[in-house]
Amino acid sequence: MSPEAAFPVVRDVDRVRRLVALPDVKPALLEKLARATVAMVGMGGLGCGSAPYLAAAGVGRLLLIDPGRVAASDVGRQVLYGPQDVGRLKVEVAAERLAQQSPELAISCEPVVLGAENAAALLAGATVVLDGLDDGRARDVLNAWAVRGEQAAPVIFGGALGYEGQVTVVPPGGRPCLACLFGSVADAPAECSVAGVLGPLVGLVGALQAAEALKWILGVGQTLSGRLWLMDLFSGASRVVPMPRRAACPVCGAGGG
Amino acid sequence: MELKLNGSWRETPELATVGALLDHLGVTHQAVGVLQNGQVVAREAFDAQPLHGRDELEIVRFVGGG
Repeated sequence: MSPEAAFPVVRDVDRVRRLVALPDVKPALLEKLARATVAMVGMGGLGCGSAPYLAAAGVGRLLLIDPGRVAASDVGRQVLYGPQDVGRLKVEVAAERLAQQSPELAISCEPVVLGAENAAALLAGATVVLDGLDDGRARDVLNAWAVRGEQAAPVIFGGALGYEGQVTVVPPGGRPCLACLFGSVADAPAECSVAGVLGPLVGLVGALQAAEALKWILGVGQTLSGRLWLMDLFSGASRVVPMPRRAACPVCGAGGG
Repeated sequence: MELKLNGSWRETPELATVGALLDHLGVTHQAVGVLQNGQVVAREAFDAQPLHGRDELEIVRFVGGG
């Protein structure tokens, strides 16, 4: 039996039918999606929560950056991976799953650590960057990259630990950037092997990051630039806190180098 | 003194600075963002930034996991 007979053909027009039904999404905007490259920096819980929605929506290319391999303790919340994948590179397994989901999607894999020395080269060509990291130092690198504005691309930051999650967007050039409110986040608590993490939390934060990415690419809605969306699944509470620009910010303000 | 902390009014002992408030609340100074009446207080200024009754503060911990 040919593949065409085994599986109904999902045409592009079918994939985006519900998207273009949204009041602000004009069919002409879909070309922006098809041309977009989203760089996924980290393919842990947040990456697993966001990448499938980007693939499903018709984003043209995903760049998966993560040096890690699937561990048994990842399988309970990183939903692109199963027991048969333990020991394999996350980017390779994720690329296989996402290609099944969206055969026309272009996927590139970089199984390396992102750092100050390679960020510009790795992220060249990105339309949007999604932070799926669990390392504050690398987040500082991503924040500085967004502020330099080389690609005119935002970084959609996300974080999840315990029951608490948060999302914000740093636009190209910053003002505000992550450091306006937090300074360096290199010492932020990140170790879920210590604090634990509720599995659906990473999916929730990842899905919100995907939503912000799609809004940015399509140019619809209000992004979370200048705002931090906080959620606490323990109490079931959520709030949005302003993230104003800080004139003396050491990264995007007068304190910057 | 009366302070609005993360949206709720609370009564606290008299505290001189933002840093003293964080210590009173048991909040470490690492990767914490503070807004005082809508203005960012830089981390290096926590211990010098004066606190006044009726101040409205947002204290946000950066969540690093992913």
